[in-house]
Amino acid sequence: MKQKINFDRLRKDKMKKVSAMERREFLKLGFVITGVFAGGTVLSMVSNVKKVFASPEEFSKQYPYKPHYGMVIRQGRCIDCERCLEACTTTNHVPPYGFRTTILEKVVPDAVGRKREFIPVLCNQCNDAPCVRACPTRASYKDKKNGIVMIAYEKCIGCKACMLACPYNARYFNEDRHSADKCDFCYESRLSMGEELTACADICPAGVRNFGDISDPDSDVYQMIHQIEQTVWVMRAEAGTKPNVFYMK
Amino acid sequence: MMKKLVILGAVTFIVALFSGPFGYSVFAEDYDHGGDIIYTQPVKAVIFSHAFHVEELEFDCDDCHEDLFEPEALLVQKGGNFDMECLREGNYCGQCHDGSAAFSTETQCARCHIGVKGYNARLGNMEVDEH
Repeated sequence: MKQKINFDRLRKDKMKKVSAMERREFLKLGFVITGVFAGGTVLSMVSNVKKVFASPEEFSKQYPYKPHYGMVIRQGRCIDCERCLEACTTTNHVPPYGFRTTILEKVVPDAVGRKREFIPVLCNQCNDAPCVRACPTRASYKDKKNGIVMIAYEKCIGCKACMLACPYNARYFNEDRHSADKCDFCYESRLSMGEELTACADICPAGVRNFGDISDPDSDVYQMIHQIEQTVWVMRAEAGTKPNVFYMK
Repeated sequence: MMKKLVILGAVTFIVALFSGPFGYSVFAEDYDHGGDIIYTQPVKAVIFSHAFHVEELEFDCDDCHEDLFEPEALLVQKGGNFDMECLREGNYCGQCHDGSAAFSTETQCARCHIGVKGYNARLGNMEVDEH
């Protein structure tokens, strides 16, 4: 038998005379609300996990950057000559304790044939950047025109939350600028001055770093990552950052 | 008894010193062949292992030192044409490393290219010297 909860009486009587039936009704209400909420959550998880873009047009609509800068790294060709590191530190005045890009080395002594590989890593200019999310002052922001994750140096308060948030360890703290710093695809030093390529992509002798507009079907980078025969991967896809740096053999 | 133990300990230590990581040497003077050669031009760094080619693959000195290379370490990198284009044309390493006799120079890059990190691991604490 359903009995309505008499809120007026409750207010007057100050809850001394809440009947068992009223308590039961209240609990039932609570369960119904929880159940609806849980059901809704399950439904949304099932139907909308990891939205996959069916076409380049859909991708462009969600991330309408023009040019949409990205980099394709042909990892199998990297020979750790480190000319990219030299070019980067010179072009962007990176201090010796800092880094805008690094080369990681992986050695597998039991491997057949080649026993080592070199992996260049840099800021992935993520479409869903954790550093932008973590920044308390909006010093870290995603440029609306070209998608580069920029740093407004004057706004940075040096909390280093962005450095912790980045899954790629791409940021360092620059003492001279009193700010976090990272790769900006040479925007400040080259792209804004009319150059087409980043310093590292320009100098790499082995064709490892390929830079361009990934929304332009005529660009090298677009064509590289849209081949069905080639495996293309990104770093730490499970972090959900939707990076703009792609890796291939 | 104590003296014997000390001598035994010392001998064991010295043997271990020359058999483990301490026993590895890159220098030609330590071998009958040329040892490891580490090239730094045009890129840093590429390794050539005499040990592998002579001891494991059992090549003779003349197999390479008759026509392909002078028997002087690091001479070839001074010529200015010790690059991938040249190897692709069949010169130097490319004579065998063309895909038929041995893996092609177009593949397995880091098998020979040890890079700056590899250079520093082997020779980082000494001057770049042409010996």
